[in-house]
Amino acid sequence: MSEEAQAAPEPLKGLKTWSHLAGNRRRPSEYEVVSTNLHYHMDNQDNPWELDPNIPMAKWYRKYRNESPLKCDDWDAFRDPDQIIYRTYNILQDGQENYVQGLFDQMNDRGYDQMLQPEWMPVLAKLYTPGRYLFHALQLGSAYIHQMAPASTITNCATYQTADSLRWMTHTAYRTKELSNGFSGEGFGENERNIWENDPAWQGFRELAEKALIAWDWAESFVAINLVLKPAVEECLLVQLGDAGRHNGDTLLGLLNQAQMRDAERHRRWSTALVKMALETEGNKAVLQALLDKWVPLGDAAINAYCSAIPDSPDAAADAKEAVSNFRQSLGLN
Amino acid sequence: MAKLKREEWYDLTRATNWTPKYVTEEELFPEEMSGSRGIPAEVWETYDEPYKVVYSEYVETQREKDAGAYSVKAALERSQYVENADPGWVSTMVAHYGAIPLAEYAASTAEARMARFAKAPGNRNMAVFGMMDENRHGQIQLYFPHAYTKLSRQWDWASKAYHTNEWAAIAARSFFDDAMMTRDSVAVSIMLTFAFETGFTNMQFLGLAADAAQAGDHTFASLISSIQTDESRHAQQGGPSLKILIANGKKEEAQTMVDAAIWRAWKLFSALTGPAMDYYTPMEHRSQSFKEFMEEWIIAQFERQLIDLGLDKPWYWDILIRDLDITHHGMHMGIWYWRPTVWWNPAAGFGPKEREWLEEKYPGWNETFGECADVIVDNLLNGRPELTGPETLPTVCNMCQLPIVGVPGSKWDVKDYQLEYEGRLYHFGSEVDKWCFEIDPERYKGHLNFIDRFLAGHVQPPDLMGGLQYMGLAPGEMGDDAHGYEWVKAYSQPKTDAA
Repeated sequence: MSEEAQAAPEPLKGLKTWSHLAGNRRRPSEYEVVSTNLHYHMDNQDNPWELDPNIPMAKWYRKYRNESPLKCDDWDAFRDPDQIIYRTYNILQDGQENYVQGLFDQMNDRGYDQMLQPEWMPVLAKLYTPGRYLFHALQLGSAYIHQMAPASTITNCATYQTADSLRWMTHTAYRTKELSNGFSGEGFGENERNIWENDPAWQGFRELAEKALIAWDWAESFVAINLVLKPAVEECLLVQLGDAGRHNGDTLLGLLNQAQMRDAERHRRWSTALVKMALETEGNKAVLQALLDKWVPLGDAAINAYCSAIPDSPDAAADAKEAVSNFRQSLGLN
Repeated sequence: MAKLKREEWYDLTRATNWTPKYVTEEELFPEEMSGSRGIPAEVWETYDEPYKVVYSEYVETQREKDAGAYSVKAALERSQYVENADPGWVSTMVAHYGAIPLAEYAASTAEARMARFAKAPGNRNMAVFGMMDENRHGQIQLYFPHAYTKLSRQWDWASKAYHTNEWAAIAARSFFDDAMMTRDSVAVSIMLTFAFETGFTNMQFLGLAADAAQAGDHTFASLISSIQTDESRHAQQGGPSLKILIANGKKEEAQTMVDAAIWRAWKLFSALTGPAMDYYTPMEHRSQSFKEFMEEWIIAQFERQLIDLGLDKPWYWDILIRDLDITHHGMHMGIWYWRPTVWWNPAAGFGPKEREWLEEKYPGWNETFGECADVIVDNLLNGRPELTGPETLPTVCNMCQLPIVGVPGSKWDVKDYQLEYEGRLYHFGSEVDKWCFEIDPERYKGHLNFIDRFLAGHVQPPDLMGGLQYMGLAPGEMGDDAHGYEWVKAYSQPKTDAA
């Protein structure tokens, strides 16, 4: 072999996986192959886009994502504990929807709504069907976390969470129409916006949701939505109202809310994993705790306002607050 | 069945706007993200998405689609199609997978922009499905090529290309960042879904699928035609936005967005899709020429749709129609000549039979681009391969980030359209690229194209090797002639016969 040939660099050979995963000891899962390292706009922190560095969207991403007080050297190391990918999400949720649509179908066949107690109707009109707006707010907030998260593996969790929020909103819309068909005098399908905008039971959630939706820093958005607003919504609208439903003969509401809670539990698993990873970086605990100190009072006020309107449930607010507090303590935060 | 029909309750799913109280509407929907253009929320609430779907239908349909595409892949895995395919077709796939998956994944974020910031509730919900679709397209188009990473390092570029400063990757980011990642929600619905997805994805996903089926690549054909069924649904988000803008005195602005996006998409496709269809894909598998696909999917389709909506044909339509005979040939010549600078192996595609095909599809090809091919063939036949490769840098357009090309040979018309703006001289490949810049110079003025970076000293050492390093290309990744120059032998045949 000539000297020149020895000096020439060896051509790179094929690998068993992507070069950015090739250093890992384990063979990558399908999840890792299709989910990791996809945000090319994280590469150049000074200018995320292939355009003038000072356009408004470049400033927005620099300020609210790249310069967030929550720091990590390698956000791409984040992994969804459920390892959900698009393909498995649809398998999972098509199965879940078969269950829920089956419930709707069977209950309707049996004339379910006509058997509900008349005194329960105003409660549904006041505390259940206006939830469409709040679930939609979760949809908006999750879509924001999607677009601002610093790693594709985080973005993906927010992607499926957005779709799940749309799912909850869609179920609510469906039930609203069914109830309006059976009970024309309760304002179902007509009064929800008015109730959401004016009834004291909702104003705590409305204030929290509106303010959380303009928390533009991505980490603050995550804390406000995933650690405060969502857990509060889930404990109040799904758990406490569902429980009240069971005590008032509304089995369907309890079952439906339980089914939606399975999505919520998944969202809490990824939120937990993200906080756990963030806490490995010095300084982040103080950042997260300060954000919680800012947002939790709004969350507690929302829980108090809503739960105090649930009939015959004197412990609802205390139970809901204990549950959200337990969740945050499980993260090593208060 | 006692379930309610979708149309009985669908409207409730898009009765989700409320009047904010604890923050202002301007805070909740900032103009730079929402782009409502002074049109009130009540008007945006009239937005009526033509394709209606609800969550349960979506997850069921999409589960079935994935089951189909993945099972075709699994069933054909043992056939070793890629291992035995024509290298030109392999290049088409390698180029496609480098250029597409991460852009599709990024499109998911553009959809999320609409899902969060559109003032039209119907748009917000449809964009959730669009966001999910693009999540699918990113993932499935990473999963499929991943099976081939062991064959060659070029397949790694499916995941790598967008993370590099390779020039075609810069051009792709430039277009997608401009049309979808940095625009307000309404502009995304128009520039991404209407202008780009309505026509151009049809061409990429149905046009290439037709070629793939002809080439016997049923895995790729079923994959990309499955993707297109999603695109054709979520592409319909732009039409209702356009109707609202036009009805509210914003026709001119709408027209400008459509015109700029179509032109920029065309330029990118002229470099990435044109050469694949007319040069890399083996001739016998080409279902139509790139120009014929463009005429069918872009020219005819947009003419019809734009007029239906009350818009006009873009002002440059005649220029575009003329350039269908020119631009992608120029791009191909450039790419083949600068082949070490791409992550795929460009097929030359100008053997004697291929030239007959090109002359038939593009009358006059032989006396223009053919003259370049003649010189290349002559150099290869006469032992001067070094003259068929790059030594210098081309002039690159400050809009499309692609080499400035035109008609070579005796009908030479290559022209650098220049503009001086705030003391800096910009170069453009066409009058239309220059116009795109002039619409909003603030969007582009501080950007450096590859040549600007070279001149600014970002590329070290300032030579070809430094350039390749800057682009992230090492031996094993750099392109070379797809067929190892075997095609040149056809030109030496007559001499051999005579001897």
